Amino acid sequence: MSSDARGWRIALIPDSVLNPPQQALGTLPEALRVLEANGYGVLHLPPAGVHRLLLAVIADQVAEYAHHGYAVVAIGLRGSPDNGLHWRRFAPLLRRRGVVPPPRHLIDPNRDIGVESRRLSTFLAGYDLPQEEQRRWRV
Amino acid sequence: MPGHEPRKVALVANCLLNQNAKVCEGAHYRGVVTPVVEALRNRGYLLQQLPCPELAFAGVRRWWAVYEQYDTPAYRDHCRRLAQAVAPLIEGYLRRGDEVILIGLDGSPSTGVRFTSSRPDWGGRPNRPEDDWEVVPGRGIWIEELEAELARRGLPPLPATGWALDMGRLDEAGSRRELEEFLDSRPSADDSRGDEPAAS
Repeated sequence: MSSDARGWRIALIPDSVLNPPQQALGTLPEALRVLEANGYGVLHLPPAGVHRLLLAVIADQVAEYAHHGYAVVAIGLRGSPDNGLHWRRFAPLLRRRGVVPPPRHLIDPNRDIGVESRRLSTFLAGYDLPQEEQRRWRV
Repeated sequence: MPGHEPRKVALVANCLLNQNAKVCEGAHYRGVVTPVVEALRNRGYLLQQLPCPELAFAGVRRWWAVYEQYDTPAYRDHCRRLAQAVAPLIEGYLRRGDEVILIGLDGSPSTGVRFTSSRPDWGGRPNRPEDDWEVVPGRGIWIEELEAELARRGLPPLPATGWALDMGRLDEAGSRRELEEFLDSRPSADDSRGDEPAAS
């Protein structure tokens, strides 16, 4: 798979992080740029609402990645309901699919934006599956 | 909807934000397809990622396939389920008065908008010589089913184009030019030109 550029790492992100409201600009890190810089793909969680079927569909996809050597994390937004991640409903959907809910990092919109960007980048850069798991799948 | 400014919303193929969804050897970027995101955000579009139909059906280790192989009742049922999952969001945008466009993946058997992939005799042992499928005009299966679901809900057809990622050879500059021409030809493009992007 030498011609394939995939990064093998994926971040679940809230709608409010992918599409920051106008009033939040300047207070949130440019999360998508930080994710790009660290080679992560994105799975977009929907905005607030029920979204029962859509959350199940996204959980199916996370399970497929988690079972085949991909590293998955979740980036939440402190202060948003359920951190914008629908976690109270989403985490059980993952467990039912045999997936341990991924590690979460919370962006704090009340802290300095530069500090938060560096914290996010450090978290993303530092996370991956153990080497043994990487060797098993990433050939 | 009174009291709400109409927004610009781009429905984007799953793999345009997540190249890990691509079939093996199909990923041209590590994660996000940056030129697509930049072109959309610079014009003030919000992003709404669509589910990847192939990943959830045939898995991350699926074989390459063409339109004719995915054109089965079971795969169409699966795509209809995904369409029903995301259609309420799309319907909400449209009923609110937002401009909604669709950016698919040209050349894809599932997510193609202007072009899909075809080879009616593909099947059996997966040992076809490289690049012996054809790119033909037409929608992929997933886009057909998504559009059918929106039509069932009485919603208008969405303006749509595709990023030419699955056309055999990626011409990034050409793809970007075509996408920007599509975006700038939108009726609202003149109104928004010069606006600050919603997020960049």
